[in-house]
Amino acid sequence: MTETARVWLVVALTLLGLFFSFVSMVGVLRLPDVYSRAHTASQADTLGAGFGLAAVALTVGLAGAGFKSVLLLFFIFVTNPTAAHAIARAAFEEGIVPWIEGDDRR
Amino acid sequence: MADTDPPGGGAGPDADATVDPDEASEGDASTESAAPGAVIVPVEPTSTLRSTVAHVAETAAADGAPAIHLVEIASWRNGDPESDERAAAAERVLERVTAWATADLDDSEAPGAADVEVVTTVLGADDYLFGADDYVRVLAEYAEANGADRVVLDPEYTPVGNTTLLQPLEFALSNTPLSVETAPVDRPTRRERFRTEATTGRFVALFGLSLAFYLLLGDPTYWFDVVTGVASAAVVSITLSRVSLDSNPAFPRTPMRIVRGLVYVPVLLFEIVKANLVVARVILDPRLPIEPTMNRMRVIVGRGLPLMTLANSITLTPGTLTVRARDSDLYVHSLVPWAREGLFDGSLERWTRFVYYGRRSARLPTPRERDDVAILQGADATEELPIAAADGGAIDGERDAADDDSAVDAGDASDEGENDPEVTDR
Repeated sequence: MTETARVWLVVALTLLGLFFSFVSMVGVLRLPDVYSRAHTASQADTLGAGFGLAAVALTVGLAGAGFKSVLLLFFIFVTNPTAAHAIARAAFEEGIVPWIEGDDRR
Repeated sequence: MADTDPPGGGAGPDADATVDPDEASEGDASTESAAPGAVIVPVEPTSTLRSTVAHVAETAAADGAPAIHLVEIASWRNGDPESDERAAAAERVLERVTAWATADLDDSEAPGAADVEVVTTVLGADDYLFGADDYVRVLAEYAEANGADRVVLDPEYTPVGNTTLLQPLEFALSNTPLSVETAPVDRPTRRERFRTEATTGRFVALFGLSLAFYLLLGDPTYWFDVVTGVASAAVVSITLSRVSLDSNPAFPRTPMRIVRGLVYVPVLLFEIVKANLVVARVILDPRLPIEPTMNRMRVIVGRGLPLMTLANSITLTPGTLTVRARDSDLYVHSLVPWAREGLFDGSLERWTRFVYYGRRSARLPTPRERDDVAILQGADATEELPIAAADGGAIDGERDAADDDSAVDAGDASDEGENDPEVTDR
């Protein structure tokens, strides 16, 4: 009984992770400029990878590799914003003006 | 705000500006030699402080300056943990320096020596001071209030700890009416700075952390993993203990920060999920438009790790993206107004303060109430976007496009330039 519940929970978490990765992909295609795309690209890392790793941890059990997936998540949470910030800052220093409503650039 | 902007801004105009005030200040010094103003000396316990004070006392006595102001610029903020101890340490330094200056003036042969007053003070303890701009602002305000026109810098003066501040400080000072001089004293050949000694505390902390991490990934009960773990941890802590930690681990503080950090994790996760759902909805529903703007927020957290924590938390939360951290100003891009309002409510700022300074420090007005926020774009804009290429005025967009094109052209040209010789070589 608990085994079935665990399997369904894993499926649910995987689907959630897929959903947020999908949203992130749509966002990268749909949004207008480098800054807004950086927002949504980091979304795939936070919740997409987050739910995916939660599913992994639940599958393999917290005792062994599951603990490592938690560590993995921790490192993603440290490096992901740093990378997003580096990209946005590089764009900013290049003098790229962020897109606002009414801007014709696409 | 305006006075702190120029040194960090576009390189071109500032580079020009540095030349002029230098000449101007030399002119000032020669014209004002009739009635010289007081001298300001920022002090820190460095190896050249003694000779700097001697130099200042000598020149002040010779020029007939009315006073020597020995100022310690606070790198702490009153009310934060440890501020009392650091203020007391600063007072001790000031007492010692005053004794030196008075003794030097007494020994001086110059006729004006007896009239030189020695004043000490601690500046900027009510605020977080970040870079050279903040220090210069504080110094300039103090100079104006006390009729000082000259700043003499100790060549080893580095108030921010392990970053070199002297050059940016001189640079920023050259944009003020104050004249600047670095005391011509002998510097010791020793390159290491006074206060970045590798302490055992840092070494042990880093060693323990790397060993724990190694054994977490390996098997703590297997002797081989323990031996290799100790070896790797030793290599890591020997090479990196000066770099990785910028303050010593302290007993109640460091564990408390870790515990409060663990409290913060679920809060941050909740914020991330909430913001993710809002942003996902905006992205998936074409009827909901995005309204991105760049914003500025002056945050009240300490330099270094706390600022990094806050900036990264802001970036992790979808809808807000830290683009630039200029001293205590964060430039944050927001995707939708909801995210911007959440940012200005400052809950992440309060949580960061909670993690690093405890619950009492977390109570402070929101950035919006403090009036520390600005929208830099769109209909509600209250400030101009500090982009170098956009400084010109109304035709920014076209200018940008033109600049970009020319930059691309230049890139192409240089590529060709690099390729051509190869062709001719062959």
